Amino acid sequence: MLKENVFQVIKSSIVEILPEISTNQIVISVSLQDLGANSIDRMDIIIKSMERLGVKIPLVELAKVNNIQGLVDILYEKASA
Amino acid sequence: MKERVVVSGMGAISSIGKNINEFTDSLKVGRSGIGRIRNSFDPPISVSIAAEIHDISFDSYLEGCAEYSGIPPGFTNEVRQCARRAPFAVQGSISAATEAWSRAELFKNSLAPDRVGIIIAGNNLTEHYQYGLYEKFKQTPEYLSPTYALHYLDTDQVGTISEIFKIRGEGFTVGGASASGNIGILKGFQLIQLGLVDACMVIGSMAHLSPMELQGFYNIGAMGGKRFSNEPEKACRPFDMDHEGFIYGQASGCLILESLKSATARGIAKLAEISGGALVLDGNRLSDPNEAGEIRAMEIALSQAQINAIDVSYINTHGTSSPKGDETELKAIRKVFKRKTSDIWINATKGFTGHCLYSAGVIEAIATIIQMNEGFVHPNINLDNPIEYDFKFCGKELSQADIQIALSNSFGFGGINTSLVLQRIE
Repeated sequence: MLKENVFQVIKSSIVEILPEISTNQIVISVSLQDLGANSIDRMDIIIKSMERLGVKIPLVELAKVNNIQGLVDILYEKASA
Repeated sequence: MKERVVVSGMGAISSIGKNINEFTDSLKVGRSGIGRIRNSFDPPISVSIAAEIHDISFDSYLEGCAEYSGIPPGFTNEVRQCARRAPFAVQGSISAATEAWSRAELFKNSLAPDRVGIIIAGNNLTEHYQYGLYEKFKQTPEYLSPTYALHYLDTDQVGTISEIFKIRGEGFTVGGASASGNIGILKGFQLIQLGLVDACMVIGSMAHLSPMELQGFYNIGAMGGKRFSNEPEKACRPFDMDHEGFIYGQASGCLILESLKSATARGIAKLAEISGGALVLDGNRLSDPNEAGEIRAMEIALSQAQINAIDVSYINTHGTSSPKGDETELKAIRKVFKRKTSDIWINATKGFTGHCLYSAGVIEAIATIIQMNEGFVHPNINLDNPIEYDFKFCGKELSQADIQIALSNSFGFGGINTSLVLQRIE
């Protein structure tokens, strides 16, 4: 599992929850909020990505994440563990 | 002095039409929406017939809406973003509400948001949605969609629709089983009478039942469809000797109720007046109908409306095609109207739409208003051999009719009886 794969999974979850976003708009440095995701969309994207990667992370551990890069890092860490 | 209350807009999506025009055409020509259930269930259930909404996605509905009068640019996009992942029942409510809001000219001729209310009629609105998630939940609860916490609530409809239509007055759901729609109209009527709002959107929510509710209704003995299982359009037969129980139907309906004062000030067409209504209980937790309760509902509705029984020319019955329910309702009507029953047109919209449960009252109020304004009574398409002969049942074809004052009945499990009085506005 590469970090790039994790990023791809997150991208596919984003476009599923927010169909008006295209994958090439999603750069790793932005936050989900920057892409127009509301609080519930953000949770949906995270849960969907976790499901696709087969990882289970207590949501409190995601509190410090503030952009997609942070999300990639924590999901990558759990997926590789 | 209480405010007089009129209907200033209506919208519906049902098995017999995706808007009011299509619904009206179906009523006129006697087009039934009842057929075989298209999706199979795992495990299979005992119910195979229903009046389902088919062949329309929320997206294509929204595209069609762009033709409605006064829809602002960007509206359909906003709605899509707000509700594309919402359960089917919520999307149905939004669809009916959009048509009603447009017909009431509220997109261009708006009211102060805090003077508009919203009532969602129906209870347990998310059964199908919940059932659909259960299998996965049993495997991995961690992956349950977070939106579940919003969507499972009946009040999700209040939130979503108030956001879309920028409604800021009172808003809540009312539950009364199959009488929910009438209760919603009655409560909206009272909010306006009390002067708490100037207009109230009343939505009869679709009952999107899961296989478990369908089987439950079957097991309790309430459902028909056995004898005519190969001719589904004949299965719903209110007041016919061969009636054997209700047929499940899907529909979302919306009425915009408005004070006469407000509708006059806005200079819009008034579709009908709500003159009165009643909600009374039998004190009975079971499913059986009660003649005394039905009589009280009709009598109190007439007295609230200050209408003499003699002046009623049409009754849109509860008429579900349930033997006991049909018989009890006719007995109650006979007690209220006495010998006059042979002069009052009687039909049952459920013969076309199936029993839409929570939305039935709203859908049937809409059917009543259409018939009053267009001067006809719709056929009873499956009434071959009426269980009683001293009633003026509509025949198998449409009849011209001059209806000034109408009654619309809805009764629900748990001894809930309601009746509404509607009047034509010249």
